[in-house]
Amino acid sequence: MTTQYTRDDTKRLFAALRQTGEPELRDALARLHLPLVEYLAKRFKDRGEPLDDLIQVGSVGLLKAIDRFDLGREVEFSTYATPTIVGELKRYFRDKGWAVRVPRRLQELSLRLNKVIAQLTQELGRSPTVPEIAKSAQVTEEEVLEALESGQAYSTTSLDAPSGEDDDAPNRADRLGEEDFRLDNLEYFASLAPLIEQLPERERTILYLRFFKGMTQSKIAEHVGISQMHVSRLLSRILEFLRQGMEGEAQY
Amino acid sequence: MASETVTVRVPATAGHLALLRTAVGGYAARDQLTIDQVDDLRMAVEEAAVQLLRHATSERIELDVCGTATGVEVRLHAEVAGEQPIIDESSFSWSILRALSDDLAVEMQQRHATIVLSKHRLPHLNEDTEA
Repeated sequence: MTTQYTRDDTKRLFAALRQTGEPELRDALARLHLPLVEYLAKRFKDRGEPLDDLIQVGSVGLLKAIDRFDLGREVEFSTYATPTIVGELKRYFRDKGWAVRVPRRLQELSLRLNKVIAQLTQELGRSPTVPEIAKSAQVTEEEVLEALESGQAYSTTSLDAPSGEDDDAPNRADRLGEEDFRLDNLEYFASLAPLIEQLPERERTILYLRFFKGMTQSKIAEHVGISQMHVSRLLSRILEFLRQGMEGEAQY
Repeated sequence: MASETVTVRVPATAGHLALLRTAVGGYAARDQLTIDQVDDLRMAVEEAAVQLLRHATSERIELDVCGTATGVEVRLHAEVAGEQPIIDESSFSWSILRALSDDLAVEMQQRHATIVLSKHRLPHLNEDTEA
């Protein structure tokens, strides 16, 4: 998109659009402001959704803004459009994931349970069952299930959002790569190798440890220095990525 | 809870796979599997369902989950186009399923495919299933 963006063009196009209602003019305005959409979409790119999807969603916002913009207003179109585009993006995340809809009570419980699970895992030398977690956290089994499910739901959108509460042992992150993980181990799956190469090192390590070394999630969590829930989310996401990759539309 | 079979039938579209995963996760977590095992099973179900979906000619995929004496067993069924096993044992998908489940079988009967997965309870958790 190299079109020189000028305010006059925008004004002229809007004036013409309002007069004639020509769809081409609407398209021209949309094209002219696509860089704005791209710019805003990029601000949401760390939430686990492909950028292209975000740009599409943002474009819907842009079109809404184009249709609603009143030339008589004393604001630039870009100023007017920004909140509409951002609003559309936010709504997308809200509708798509439960991130915002998971009640606060559950979010808090989910965070607390993360700690209980880590502790029990250490004590037991394996991951705990739901009854064990419930007993230790002094809540009912149903509450544990509810929180775990909401945690899963939450994870579907914000996989790589900064997971401060999750990485409760960041000092151990430097252990990463300790495992001499080589791609040749996976070469057998020739079609997958190029995809696996695209994964960040930590994800590759997790994939390898889980599926080729048969390590449990809890052990991997300990090894990599993140929580079991986080390992679980990453694994789901890696598999999803590989599946999509085989269909030729992956983006990690 | 053991031995009570729960059946979930969903349209054979990608959008409904999450329901299968959730149903199995909920069941397994209530049946004395550790949360690692529950997660493994959820992921295995998703992988199995994706594979079924690729081959399904029926409009629905059906899933049965039940507690057994030793753990939790999941069976996923659909009608498929051919009579060849729908998952090749040399595929990545098979390795994933192998790694995630304790027992794995793909059964083909005429054009009816069933993927059977199970996860065993840890021995000492087996005794008190109603804890």
